Amino acid sequence: MNDHGLARHTAGVLTSLAAVAVVTGAIFALEPFAPVLSLGVLYVFAVLPVAVLFGLAYALPVSVASMLAFNWFFLPPKHTFRLTDSENWVALAVYLVTAVVVSGLAARSRRREAEAERRAREAALLAEVAGALLESSHVQEELGQIASRLAGALGAGRSRIELDSVRRPEGHESAHELRAGDRSIGRVFLDEEPDPVIARRLLPGLASLLAVAIDRERLGRQAVEAEALRRSDAIKTAILRAVTHDLRSPLTAIRAATEGLENASLDLSDADRTALLATVDSEARRLDRLVANLLDLSRLEVGAAEPRPELWTVEGLVGQALAELGAGAERVTISLHAELPPIEVDGAQIELVLVNLLENALKFSSPADPVELRGELREGEVTVSVIDRGPGLSDAELERIFEPFEQGRAPSRGSGLGLAIARGFAQANGARLRAEPRMEGGASFVLSVPAASPARTPA
Amino acid sequence: MSGTRILVVDDEPQILRALETTLRGAGYEVETAATGEDALTQAAVHPPEGVILDLVLPGKSGVEVCRELRDWSDAPVVVLSVVGEESEKVAALDAGADDYVTKPFGVDELLARLRAALRRVAPPGEPVLEIAGLEIDLEKRAVHRNGELIQLTPHEFALLRLFALNEGKLLTHRTILREVWGPAYQTESHYLHVYISQLRHKIEQDPARPRYLLTETGAGYRLVDSKS
Repeated sequence: MNDHGLARHTAGVLTSLAAVAVVTGAIFALEPFAPVLSLGVLYVFAVLPVAVLFGLAYALPVSVASMLAFNWFFLPPKHTFRLTDSENWVALAVYLVTAVVVSGLAARSRRREAEAERRAREAALLAEVAGALLESSHVQEELGQIASRLAGALGAGRSRIELDSVRRPEGHESAHELRAGDRSIGRVFLDEEPDPVIARRLLPGLASLLAVAIDRERLGRQAVEAEALRRSDAIKTAILRAVTHDLRSPLTAIRAATEGLENASLDLSDADRTALLATVDSEARRLDRLVANLLDLSRLEVGAAEPRPELWTVEGLVGQALAELGAGAERVTISLHAELPPIEVDGAQIELVLVNLLENALKFSSPADPVELRGELREGEVTVSVIDRGPGLSDAELERIFEPFEQGRAPSRGSGLGLAIARGFAQANGARLRAEPRMEGGASFVLSVPAASPARTPA
Repeated sequence: MSGTRILVVDDEPQILRALETTLRGAGYEVETAATGEDALTQAAVHPPEGVILDLVLPGKSGVEVCRELRDWSDAPVVVLSVVGEESEKVAALDAGADDYVTKPFGVDELLARLRAALRRVAPPGEPVLEIAGLEIDLEKRAVHRNGELIQLTPHEFALLRLFALNEGKLLTHRTILREVWGPAYQTESHYLHVYISQLRHKIEQDPARPRYLLTETGAGYRLVDSKS
């Protein structure tokens, strides 16, 4: 028996003695005013509280002790356990039976009440657990809370729930299987033996709740994965369709041109031959550009485009981009703010951003129109705007244009990868890239990069 | 006639065949090798006057071939690289390669690079260089354009001098930093681009469209004597 039980036992014995003593005292006090035989019934007030508070095990001795005390103190011959009147025998017997019956009833109702209370607590516990598991999408995170509530309900100091556990209990631990039907959910470890009745009632309910929560979590995860797969499948299909088209058209042009050149029966002038060779050359370059774009895109998608930031002047980067553009660069007019601070970026990646923006602007505007590149300082940020006089962008297109395989209003040319790649590399370098509509018509693409801090720039 | 002997190293037969044909057509004598080991053996037997070297080879890599070749040969090396192998390319340049072209390349571009590399073997002896519209007096450390003195800081002059002495040659970031700032600074490329930008402001008419001091993205810089 533990300390708690011993204290309760002591309290039970003392209360029983006190109850008998108090009622005996009361009968002494009332003896002058009423026939003593009728006062015997007062011992019910000793039996009843003991029965309610401590149960039948204490109430029965109190009944017997009450009867003996009544006999000793009040029934003639007094101060003996003998009785003269047979009448008194009957009275004592009635008292004893009454006391026993009353205490039995009281104890039973007390037990029922306690039982009901405990069941209510258990039901509340399971309801709380169910609520917590329903609200959370991670069963594992809730286990600590559930375990501490369970410990309270089972009268244990500490408890631990381990899912899918087959661990053996260590030291003073006791382990209890959590089973939902035939399925093992895990184990509960308690620092002392729990009440077996409660454990038998509570643990299967808990196991079922956990099983439902675990299944729900797994299904949720599967749904997310399925959605991601579905989306990536859709993207792959779009890529495949675009790439197939973009690969096939230059290949078709190249084959047509080379077969034309080879065919001896064709009557080709020198100018025709030159034109066919130029087709082969330009289409091969187009294929090269497409492959490079796909490579860039895949590097961005897998996060392999780790930037190597160094200090660059905008002018230097613009110069590289123009050199990369080749002939188209002549259509670009440049105005750079004289005091632009350097920026700390990966030079090759930002050059690619500028090349793609300029190519896009050149492609979607008339060859007669200039494309403007402006470098400015706005609120501590270096902005590079590429402005064209093409068809412009609708509000809906301002964001969508950066999705891979999206194109503006112009007829399909190119794979629509350039802007997606440009934004990807801009973001990898801590820069922002957005499209703005223009009142005057055309579109403006603005790259904003934080200026390098003065401490990082050379004197 | 016997042309300049060029060793072409590539493991892809169709590229080897295309290069062999075009180089022969351009008047070169061509040897071919499909692996790094084969290339080094061939180079030892018939020392080439120029080498075209693919970086991705089975067995010994292009960078290793370059390094071993440099131990005993000064023949210029032009490496063939592909997008996505920038670090390999820079490693080959640092190991002594003279220049690079990126696959898929045009034959014209390759021939131009090769000719330039072959031409550069003899360094100029005179103290005054005329390049990029500038007169660079190495002894007096003075730079003039059209008789007008251009003010350069000591670092800017050292940069310009290095480029002028290696006209047309691609200089890697590491090489530039080592030659101008010293071996301790050869990996400190952080500020280099800003210095280059400053130098362009002094020697280029339009620094945003440089004609002389050109950037090779991710690799280095080169000074060309643009006549156009």
